[in-house]
Amino acid sequence: MTKKFKASIERYNPDTDDAPYFEDFEVEYEPGMTVLDALLYVQDKYDSSLAFRWECRGGQCGSCAVRVNTIARIACRTKVDPDADLILQPMQKMPVIKDLVVDMTQTEARIRRIRPYVARDKPPERPEIIHSQDIEILREIRKCIECSACLSNCPIVHETWDYPGPMIIRQLARLELDPRDVEDRVAMAMDEAVYSCTTCKLCEDICPKSIKIPKLAVELLRAKAVEAGYPLLEGQRIFVDSMKETGRSVPEKKTPLLKNLETEEFLVENPVGRVAFFTGCLIDYRMQSTGKALIEVLNRNNVDVIVPKEQWCCASPAFRTGDMETATMCTERVTKIFEDAMDKYDLDTVIIACAGCGKTLQEDHRPLIEEMRGTPPRFKVYDMAEYLVDVVGMDRIVKPTGKLDLKVTYHEPCHLGRGQSVVDQPIELLKLIPGVEYIDDPYKNRCCGAGGGLRAGQRELSMKIAKTKKEYIEATGADVVTTECPFCTIQIKDILKGTDIPCLYMPDLLLESYKKGDEKKAEGKTAKAKAEA
Amino acid sequence: MDELPYKTILCDVLVVGAGGAGCRAAIEASRLNLDVIMLSKELIGKAHTSMAEGGYNVSLGNVDPDDDPETHFKDTIVGGNYLNNQELAEILVNDASQRAFDLEEMGALFDRTPEGKIAQRVFGKQSWRRTAYASDRTGSEIMITLVEGIRKESVRVFDEIFATRLLVHDGRIAGVTAIDLKYGDYLVFRAQAVVMATGGAGRIFTVTSNAQLDVGDGYAMAFEAGCDIIDMEMIQFHPTGMVAPESAKGRLVTEAVRGEGGILLNNKGERFMNNYYPEVMELAGRDQVARSIMTEVLAGRGSPDGGVYLSISHLPKRIVEFRLESMIEQFEDAGVDIRDEPMQVSPTAHHFMGGLKIDTNAQTTIPGLFSAGECTGGIHGGNRLGGNALAGTQVFGALAGGNAARFAKEHERTGVDRKEIQKEFNRLEAMLKRKEGISPSVARKELTDLMWSKVQIFRKEEDMAYAVKELKRIEKEVVPNIKVDMPIKRFNPGWHQAIEFEHMVTTARMVAEAAFMRKGSRGAHYRVDGDPNDDGYYNIVIRKGPKGKMKLQKEDLVITKIAPP
Repeated sequence: MTKKFKASIERYNPDTDDAPYFEDFEVEYEPGMTVLDALLYVQDKYDSSLAFRWECRGGQCGSCAVRVNTIARIACRTKVDPDADLILQPMQKMPVIKDLVVDMTQTEARIRRIRPYVARDKPPERPEIIHSQDIEILREIRKCIECSACLSNCPIVHETWDYPGPMIIRQLARLELDPRDVEDRVAMAMDEAVYSCTTCKLCEDICPKSIKIPKLAVELLRAKAVEAGYPLLEGQRIFVDSMKETGRSVPEKKTPLLKNLETEEFLVENPVGRVAFFTGCLIDYRMQSTGKALIEVLNRNNVDVIVPKEQWCCASPAFRTGDMETATMCTERVTKIFEDAMDKYDLDTVIIACAGCGKTLQEDHRPLIEEMRGTPPRFKVYDMAEYLVDVVGMDRIVKPTGKLDLKVTYHEPCHLGRGQSVVDQPIELLKLIPGVEYIDDPYKNRCCGAGGGLRAGQRELSMKIAKTKKEYIEATGADVVTTECPFCTIQIKDILKGTDIPCLYMPDLLLESYKKGDEKKAEGKTAKAKAEA
Repeated sequence: MDELPYKTILCDVLVVGAGGAGCRAAIEASRLNLDVIMLSKELIGKAHTSMAEGGYNVSLGNVDPDDDPETHFKDTIVGGNYLNNQELAEILVNDASQRAFDLEEMGALFDRTPEGKIAQRVFGKQSWRRTAYASDRTGSEIMITLVEGIRKESVRVFDEIFATRLLVHDGRIAGVTAIDLKYGDYLVFRAQAVVMATGGAGRIFTVTSNAQLDVGDGYAMAFEAGCDIIDMEMIQFHPTGMVAPESAKGRLVTEAVRGEGGILLNNKGERFMNNYYPEVMELAGRDQVARSIMTEVLAGRGSPDGGVYLSISHLPKRIVEFRLESMIEQFEDAGVDIRDEPMQVSPTAHHFMGGLKIDTNAQTTIPGLFSAGECTGGIHGGNRLGGNALAGTQVFGALAGGNAARFAKEHERTGVDRKEIQKEFNRLEAMLKRKEGISPSVARKELTDLMWSKVQIFRKEEDMAYAVKELKRIEKEVVPNIKVDMPIKRFNPGWHQAIEFEHMVTTARMVAEAAFMRKGSRGAHYRVDGDPNDDGYYNIVIRKGPKGKMKLQKEDLVITKIAPP
């Protein structure tokens, strides 16, 4: 029997309908079926007036972007999951013409605003000599087919067209990198609010051409801006200056974790593994208890933890804002500290509980060190949830037994999900906790607005994005939201002020359950002892 | 007849079509200080040109210094089985280099040689490595560039406008009727000169590499307007289209795969091209490779899904990753890693060699009507060489655009026949109002299946006769009874398909009639029952006769340098 699934498609003809509505269609599944195939099936079988765009069916033309289960993607290269419902909606930010067809007028106008072509001040030589090595990155970011899906998904564009969005900022970088273009694209990028991007990477994640827009366009333009002498925004500069001087991006308040710990070594009997713990600035200076919780959680899972006393900032704020000098300095320092720890303690794994630091070590430090010395850092980097679930393994994890009666949802930090491909592991950990009812938020992977220097530099815009995030969280009906990034935690706590939804950090929640379990056990023992007595 | 409301929009030069040729024509015309409108049936930049993969032929001699336009010309004529209009082929080979430099001036980036010149690779039936490329996304690179170019020029782009009829007045082109796909409004565009750049018609076949809008609008509109159409029987079936999954059937697998060293194997693992064209193997002409593959499949030596195997896995992965990046992506979607596994391929309807007949100014037989790109006939003769189409879009796009602009400067705008306009809009309106009738998707399936089963790679007399008879019946019985399911004008794909259907039928009939007339095998037209007395050295020209009848006649070849053997 052929497998069938339900496609819910948003319909809207503004001539006759007051508002959009969903219409459900039953679609026969075929192996390899794409969203475009499903749309064509519906159009052919049920309603030939169903409006959507498509041309090439091969990911070359960029006509068919629609929102598939809330995220815009090109339909012809998105596979259908026959075991789930398929929800199809028009792209956001662009007004609907009919059904899934949106008006691109504003997008086209926005593109034209940046003079999106190679500007020349004299006729070129014919032919022109251009060397491959000069166009390597340019060649990568030039592949854009203007499907506009990234504009629909961009949390900044969602709040304001002041920022032109990933697709268009990419075109600016493409022109900046073109040796033939004579315009001052860096000045233009400043005018086009290049510092508004949170580097959430949703654009890169859904890009049909896998263009690394945050790194190869946004951060590249920012680095060029810094090089050209544009000062960082006030809030961003404080972070960067601080990390240069103290190795920490924020000032000290109460006693830092590293000063507080009496030893570097937290060893267990019969360890299943040994890791070095990279704390990052915020766990060290602001979330000391979370740091301790993580050490304890790892120890309870029979993992030796080494916490090098001397640590340094990963320089995420410098990478994100374009201060490559500071970024390079910190990268070398972090690499040395942990390679020394490797040698001293005979280990090869570094564990991180901060999404931003983890992403920076993996995506930024590795290639930079490799470029500088030919080989990448010698240690492996894991996120804590990834380490527990994938390395310790679900069969060896010591399950927490204390019951926490909570409806819990999860905010996936951008730099964890898309930065390190750690998506399911934190949720698996949550589900281990007895009593926890996990509520999936379809928008869990949307940016909170803190990253990329936005919270530091442009608080107002950052909070607008956070407000949208708050609406998603509230819609889940959960008692608490959990996450795995100190920066997201601070931002979400801020925006949830005045609500009764707390934002909890994963290791804290785990430890709470472990401790509750201990109490229960102890009570049990006492009761047993009493009974025996 | 109802008096239907419409709006008239004026310009000097109207370009119908916004692919490689249309954009290039519009850019050229706008540089001559004229008001130019470019109509795009899709959003700007989404045209089929972006799907061209392999490359752009230009005899720069950057890799093989002995190459020159003369050799390019010879390869083009021999490859075209001597049916090419040699005056046009000369223009193609002579202008290809300047037009490539134009592209780079606008921002294109072809891949480079170590010296920083444009790199070139080998393609089928070429004496030298001549094909300039940007990995295997050359068409996309050119389309991206032309969109950048359009955004720099003062071209007025009207996107999602579907031109339905050419308007001719006092023997000259006057403009077009059109509908706005977005909102369904009726529009008339009037101009002193019009450039047709509407692309091909692969979609009249069930299995095709073409984008969904390539249904032959230009051929049908030009025929209806009385324009001469040439070589319509010459259809290139690209030897390598995807076979599976079903929804990807027909999608192009670039010739660059074979150019880079890919080999064709049957289900016994034999490199079967050795049995057909041992001298050139996989790089024989596209018609030759397509027939060889079909012969293997029909003899039972095909792959499970009805194709043959194309393998590139013997090449270093790094080369495949750099030069065939789209292919990796395309087959990844189908669950095949081409770095390790063979692809399954079989022929797919790809390119129309025939089309609007033009002179050396790119002007058609209707004064003021110019043509460029795939809708144009004569340049490629009986078989187009891979890489000559992208070059053709640029060479003839610029030529048509420039000459249309000059024509527009020298002429006043003509009037229009408002009765004819009302008649056309009433025809379109009737499809929506009809109470009973045939659904466009049903009609379309019947047509494409007929063409795919009867008028494809191996042709024979009775099939041609049958196809012509059937097409006449469809024209008479189905076309006037097409009924749109939902009578909505606002972005209604059902209506768009209904309007396209007549264009498809007219185009299909031109193909079938010409294929019926040509009794011998020549170029892409292969008759299994070929008449040995028909050497085939002529062109077939179609024009509208009295009472709208389709008139076909043989014409002498246009020869400047190379006589057929």
